Amino acid sequence: MSRNLWEIKRLRLKPELIWSMALSSLRLRMGRTLLTLLTVSACCAFLLFLLTAPISDDPADRQMWGLMITLSLLVSVAGVLNTMLMSVTQRYREIGTIKCLGALDSFVLLSVMLESALLGLTGALLGIVGGLILSFGMGLLDAGAGVFAAAYWSGLGWKILVSAFVGLALTTLGAAFPAAVAARMPPVEAMRGEK
Amino acid sequence: MSATSLIDARDVQRYYKSGATVVKALDGVTLEIRAGEYLSLMGPSGSGKTTFFNIIGALDVPTGGSVKLGERELASLSMAELSYLRCANIGYIFQNYNLVEVFSALRNVTLPMRFLGLTEAEANDKAAMLLKRVGLDHRMHHLPNELSGGQQQRVAIARALANDPMLVLADEPTGNLDTKTATSIVELLSELSREKGVTIVSATHDHRMLSVSDRVVYLRDGRVERILNRDELKISVGSIGS
Repeated sequence: MSRNLWEIKRLRLKPELIWSMALSSLRLRMGRTLLTLLTVSACCAFLLFLLTAPISDDPADRQMWGLMITLSLLVSVAGVLNTMLMSVTQRYREIGTIKCLGALDSFVLLSVMLESALLGLTGALLGIVGGLILSFGMGLLDAGAGVFAAAYWSGLGWKILVSAFVGLALTTLGAAFPAAVAARMPPVEAMRGEK
Repeated sequence: MSATSLIDARDVQRYYKSGATVVKALDGVTLEIRAGEYLSLMGPSGSGKTTFFNIIGALDVPTGGSVKLGERELASLSMAELSYLRCANIGYIFQNYNLVEVFSALRNVTLPMRFLGLTEAEANDKAAMLLKRVGLDHRMHHLPNELSGGQQQRVAIARALANDPMLVLADEPTGNLDTKTATSIVELLSELSREKGVTIVSATHDHRMLSVSDRVVYLRDGRVERILNRDELKISVGSIGS
């Protein structure tokens, strides 16, 4: 009872608390974590495979490919966004609760974003490995020994970067929007949110 | 407003729009809550208990009227100031316990202290002490889903007291518990309120909570129906029992 009630101070954001919240959440929700990893890595693998796959020069073939690629990419992007949205909306009550305990809006937002970024990064790395294996297999069928030539892999660096960036951005931003909405709600509304 | 009053609610209204109709969850509640008292809010469901609880706890915003916590008008505080207020000065206990499920009992209790700025070691020491006080020193490292309802509520009580708040708000704290566990939770709350001199406001259906209350406020249809003091209470509780 020694503290003066009328004096209102500023709470400071603690990076180590943000880390611990994000890591505990990833560990304890292992099922959800693995599902998200699978979705993100599949999306990245697919994207990298498309970027490196040999495409025929026939214009009709190219058009067909383009259509299929666009549709499949849309499906996988929607899959990742939906997974992230679900993972955040499922914890509205938890967000409301920690706001009752004094969590700042920025704490809520940053801990969810960090968690998603860690997931996105791991998923992207796994996806890149997967995508490279697929591309290599496809290349072997298509170009035989030519797949070992450096020219076959031209521009691989930026293709990997693009895939990783897409995976990371999708997961982080996909979670950031619902998290920002939840962080700004009055706690009682957030606690009601998942019911 | 007297020098000892902690909460001064004046003509508080909370209206919800539901389609074309307006639901008046609170329709002009005026109530002064004194520092150190144990106050129970009684009333049937839909009477506005929880809504009033949320508003004085700075968890929800009224559509009309004013609420003062001490000298501060709640409506004048920024989001960050409200966060501080909730963290440092108010402890919350909910019917569904609302523990953070990814954290152990100990870390649930340390969380508000860490938000306030205590180091991990300081927070751990104090949390261990609080958990011992509520009789859970042997289950400190368990996750909420490894604890019974009564044990989870004890963790919630320890967590509500973490930052030595001026005010503890308990919304139906015994609502999900069996009779025996509920009685022990009521006793624990009343002991702690005396020990720590903390003001407790509890929204409840539970008549057991009346015997430990200094005052009971009956709400009906979003208004204060009547207020009973402790001495009047004994008579009325007696008459219910007879």
